Amino acid sequence: MTCTRNITILVDPEKCTGCRLCEMACSMVHHGILSPDRARIRVLRFEGGGSNVPLVCQACEDAPCIKTCPMNARRRLGNHAVVTEEERCIGCRACVYICPIGAPVVNPESGKTMTCDLCAEEGTQPWCVKACRDYGALKAVDSGKTAARKSRDSAAQAKAAYKPGKKV
Amino acid sequence: MKIVIVGNGIAGNEVAFSLRLAQKDWEITILSAEQFPEYDPCSLPYFIGGDVPRDTVFRKDFKDYRMHRIHLELGQRVTAIDPEARVVATDQGREYGYDRLVLAHGGSLFIPPIEGIDRQGVHSCKQLDAADQLSQYRGSAAVVIGSGAIGIEAGEALKKRGYAVTIIELLDWVLPALFDPETSRRLETHLNHYGLRVLTAEKVLRIEGGESVSAVVTDKRRIPCDTVVIATGVVPGKALAETAGIKVGRGIRVNTHMETSVAGIYACGDCVETVDACTGEDAMFQLKHNALEQAQVVARNVLGEPVAYAGAYAFARANFFDTRAVTFGKTTRATQCELGQLDIIERAEGEDYLRVIVKEGLVVGGQAIGRLADYIGLFIGAMWRKDSIPAIRENWALIARKGSCYPWTYRKLGELMGLKS
Repeated sequence: MTCTRNITILVDPEKCTGCRLCEMACSMVHHGILSPDRARIRVLRFEGGGSNVPLVCQACEDAPCIKTCPMNARRRLGNHAVVTEEERCIGCRACVYICPIGAPVVNPESGKTMTCDLCAEEGTQPWCVKACRDYGALKAVDSGKTAARKSRDSAAQAKAAYKPGKKV
Repeated sequence: MKIVIVGNGIAGNEVAFSLRLAQKDWEITILSAEQFPEYDPCSLPYFIGGDVPRDTVFRKDFKDYRMHRIHLELGQRVTAIDPEARVVATDQGREYGYDRLVLAHGGSLFIPPIEGIDRQGVHSCKQLDAADQLSQYRGSAAVVIGSGAIGIEAGEALKKRGYAVTIIELLDWVLPALFDPETSRRLETHLNHYGLRVLTAEKVLRIEGGESVSAVVTDKRRIPCDTVVIATGVVPGKALAETAGIKVGRGIRVNTHMETSVAGIYACGDCVETVDACTGEDAMFQLKHNALEQAQVVARNVLGEPVAYAGAYAFARANFFDTRAVTFGKTTRATQCELGQLDIIERAEGEDYLRVIVKEGLVVGGQAIGRLADYIGLFIGAMWRKDSIPAIRENWALIARKGSCYPWTYRKLGELMGLKS
């Protein structure tokens, strides 16, 4: 079953412990092996500060990778995810370079890029989100709700600021 | 409403199909000088080199035009525009009336005035019919004249087909418009390593031979060969616009709504001169992503929605065999005639290389090779946001020590710049 519901993976790096279960789940569901370098999500670890940032394709509304790919291999799926068509990709990495967060991952075996397809073939929640259930650093939310949540938060803050005596 | 689009390239098709999505009953006609449905010129070198089959270069099928009721007229090169009568004339003697005209005919290959350039065995690879000829041609030694992106890619493709390849560049380094000499020298070593011979600062004087090519003579030597590929750049097709009295500069001049100086005539793609999205200067980047964005702006303006075009941006990658490089924004050479303190951030780790050009504290461009290129997008973001590099340098240690993950892009930028906490 193909998932057509528009969801987005909401990332909260503050909650990420750096356990990399998401990477394991991703490589398992897409390639059938437990190998972090086949995962389409990856956890960026910063030395010193000890913080971890899960990086995953955000499927930009006006995705620059679709426009810059010389082989027209970047394609938007019905569930809004943007993926690389493997037969067309020549591994030039234009999509990696133009991406504001460098999200596409190069498959070490084929040299071609791959990005999150939101587990479109699975018809369930993305596996990385399920793997992160205990920590909640990754959440599957309806597209549009991420922005709605943000604006509700800032509206609440602004409202509080106008009430004298109340702490923001 | 009758829409006529000149040119069946990426920009022309984007306009046609976007208009069709919004307007079911408009009459949309594309006039094409070629004989194919829409294809992507960026893909051609990979098809010549045998990396991908021929059908992957196409972005559309003839069926798509029929399904969307877009009239595609093949082999009709537009030669004149009459803006008074609102009619365009083609070289086949046909005339097409329009309510709105979109010029998206792109550019044509610049043919340098070299003696013997019309000999058999002289090829190009900007258009599909030329690429077909080159891919069917059987030769063993090739000379590529010009080392722009197309020249390098053509050289790689021919090398893969077993040719001995020599690339000749008139200027002092390869990919002169895209990379600084420091980056290009590294790429040149890579090219030599793959067995491509690169000659810079050499001028081709003539192409020798009888009916077909036997050698290329430069000001320094004579190179025997049986194939020559011309890759000396693309000139915008502004002659057509001039027949209508449209104002032209380096390319066709357009306003922020992509309309030319003549009302009812729009232009987009490789033939227009627009502004740089970051600096606001006049700019001409003949790149696919700009063509697509311009075409979308044209379509929305033709539909009556007054959308302004934000401007074009320079972003290109160069890849051959296992070398991958990227460039964005301006090169050092492009900033030479401007005031302002330049500061170059440079890092080299073995084969990997990163070079970011900072002017007055702001990123204006950058280039990278190999692994250090993987997060170049963060620098592109910094350029768009006009982030202050001195401020990042100053605050970086603090951000890193605090350990918060939210400004992670800045932490990564600092890491890439080689800052230590």
